Amino acid sequence: MTTVVLAAILGAVLLAAAYRENGSRAILLPDQVMTLFPAPKPLAAFAFTDHENRVFDLSRLKGKWSFLFFGYTHCPDICPTTLATLARAHESIAKSTAGAQDVQFVFISVDPNRDTAGKLRQYVTYFDATFLGVTGDDAQLGKLAGQFGAAYQVEVKPGTENYPVYHTAAVFLVDPRARYHAVFAPPLDAEGISRRFEVLRELEGPKAT
Amino acid sequence: MRWRRPVFLGLMLALTPIAAATEEAGISVRDAWVREAPPGMTMTAGYMLLQNKTSRPQVLVAARSSGFETVMIHRTVAKEGMTGMEHAPQIELLPNASLLFAPGGYHLMLLNPKRTLRAGDRVDITLEFRGGLVLPVAYEVRK
Repeated sequence: MTTVVLAAILGAVLLAAAYRENGSRAILLPDQVMTLFPAPKPLAAFAFTDHENRVFDLSRLKGKWSFLFFGYTHCPDICPTTLATLARAHESIAKSTAGAQDVQFVFISVDPNRDTAGKLRQYVTYFDATFLGVTGDDAQLGKLAGQFGAAYQVEVKPGTENYPVYHTAAVFLVDPRARYHAVFAPPLDAEGISRRFEVLRELEGPKAT
Repeated sequence: MRWRRPVFLGLMLALTPIAAATEEAGISVRDAWVREAPPGMTMTAGYMLLQNKTSRPQVLVAARSSGFETVMIHRTVAKEGMTGMEHAPQIELLPNASLLFAPGGYHLMLLNPKRTLRAGDRVDITLEFRGGLVLPVAYEVRK
């Protein structure tokens, strides 16, 4: 218990220190888990469709903290591992004093060819009933992924259901003003994400909303 | 049909020393588990801790299971800032060393299960090593 409390305090001190620098460069916290942008980067417009066939655009990233993960459903290892981790992080954030009302988790499929809205709904809600699955055409995917430096590559082979997809394994955090605020680097762990997020949200407070 | 029995007996005789050899070879598997696949998904992954307790290197060359259409040894790798999977045709286990198959690294890619696997189920996968050693392993399905 003492360790957890100490770690939380240390985390808060590190975050505070990072903020005092007030520069525009990203700061990788010494624990290598989260990289912060003291000057968060406003995101440009994009247009996706969510797993309920509703429009998912920039406005859907406003008013909430959003955890974004780029992947695809035909992914046996990294994607389910990450989504299960994010589901546990969500659970833990929901138990915090501030709750999870202002938080959303978005799985962005870079494989719209196979990942229809119906498939995405089945997939993301298996991990967490509140998770959103979204996708768009290549141009739109490129537009959003590029803003995070999130590379991906889909090697579609006509006539086969199985083809390789490469994507970044990081999780991106967008603040309630739709600005790219922080990134979590793999390997990810739920407690590492939730604890840092809670401290960040506390420090940002109304400033970010 | 009369030939079947001798063939079967022959197989039994042929397999017995292999099974025994595996025990003696001291290759063991711990914490073997398969991730429950989300609904509608036809692929998932298997993980384990492989231990080579012998003083010789052992090479894992294949994994088979009647529970899946395809089983392949894969590794999640980083490529130009991206993560992808590559086929690992064989994996060498150093003498007296362990190798972890874990999320984000080595895994058994399991394609098209013959039946829907749910958390708590058990599925058998056989690991094959160079030199003919075979090691049947029971994997627990976990969410």
